[in-house]
Amino acid sequence: MLDNMETEKPSPPAGTNPAPGLSDPERWVDEHGDYLFKFALLRLRDPARAEDAVQETFLAALKGGKSFAGRSAEKSWLVGILKNKIIDHFRKSSRETCFTDLEFYGDEESDRFIGDGLGKGGWIHELGPQEWANAGESLDNELFWKTYRDCAVKLPKNVAAVFNLREVDGMASKEICTVLNISESNLWVMLHRARMALRRCLETNWFGKQT
Amino acid sequence: MNFWNNLKSGCANLSPNCQDASRAQSEALDHPLPPTKKAGLWLHLRICKWCRRYGHQIRFLRTAAHEHHDELTEAAPYQLSPEARERIKQKLSSEK
Repeated sequence: MLDNMETEKPSPPAGTNPAPGLSDPERWVDEHGDYLFKFALLRLRDPARAEDAVQETFLAALKGGKSFAGRSAEKSWLVGILKNKIIDHFRKSSRETCFTDLEFYGDEESDRFIGDGLGKGGWIHELGPQEWANAGESLDNELFWKTYRDCAVKLPKNVAAVFNLREVDGMASKEICTVLNISESNLWVMLHRARMALRRCLETNWFGKQT
Repeated sequence: MNFWNNLKSGCANLSPNCQDASRAQSEALDHPLPPTKKAGLWLHLRICKWCRRYGHQIRFLRTAAHEHHDELTEAAPYQLSPEARERIKQKLSSEK
């Protein structure tokens, strides 16, 4: 092993091209392509568009020509570029199509609330939120994340876009409204319904099945 | 008229039902609630374990997704198709 290491070519001195640590762009595709594709697909919901976004990301990275000591730094750099590409796409498409969706879950689980009389609008106890046992431990379980993803994928496209930007990427509400060209009150309604639907889906398909 | 309407909505804000409270708990994750709504929600949560649970769970879902976005992304059963991979590589080498 040691012999092998000694015979390896020394890395080129700093300042020459290629810079030390700057990886071969074709290796980027093999190493980060799948991750970036999944990242884009979760947010864009369109395989062709996701592929385009990945390609644009690599091209922008090539022009940026930065060098990195570690692979994880390289990955987050690429993810950062991709995030901006996705936001650019949303900004452009919000000029053509309306992102507001007030249809989805319009009844806001009214079947789980008392409809009339005394206690109107209260949770029907058997149908109210159940105790989630060992919620923290679920976070380390791959299957939990598959269930989370499956539930998120059931949200309609525009509701999912809003949910991902706000909850997954942590973007500020005002910024989301500017990018997607929607009003704040409509954003809140969409987020409320997304959270409600996701909570219910995970309760049914994950927490309700844990013993 | 305005006074009575304000009083009416003020009272409704001060004693929300569970359906209103679930909406308010979600909104509180996105912007600071107006004082009467905030006070009403606080009072409601003192007496309602279902809504306390609801709030706890939607906050859990947010924190989970935000802190484990990598796991969520990796959970997708997809990968770049061989054709797309090849196309992107060719594009990159032509731009080099």
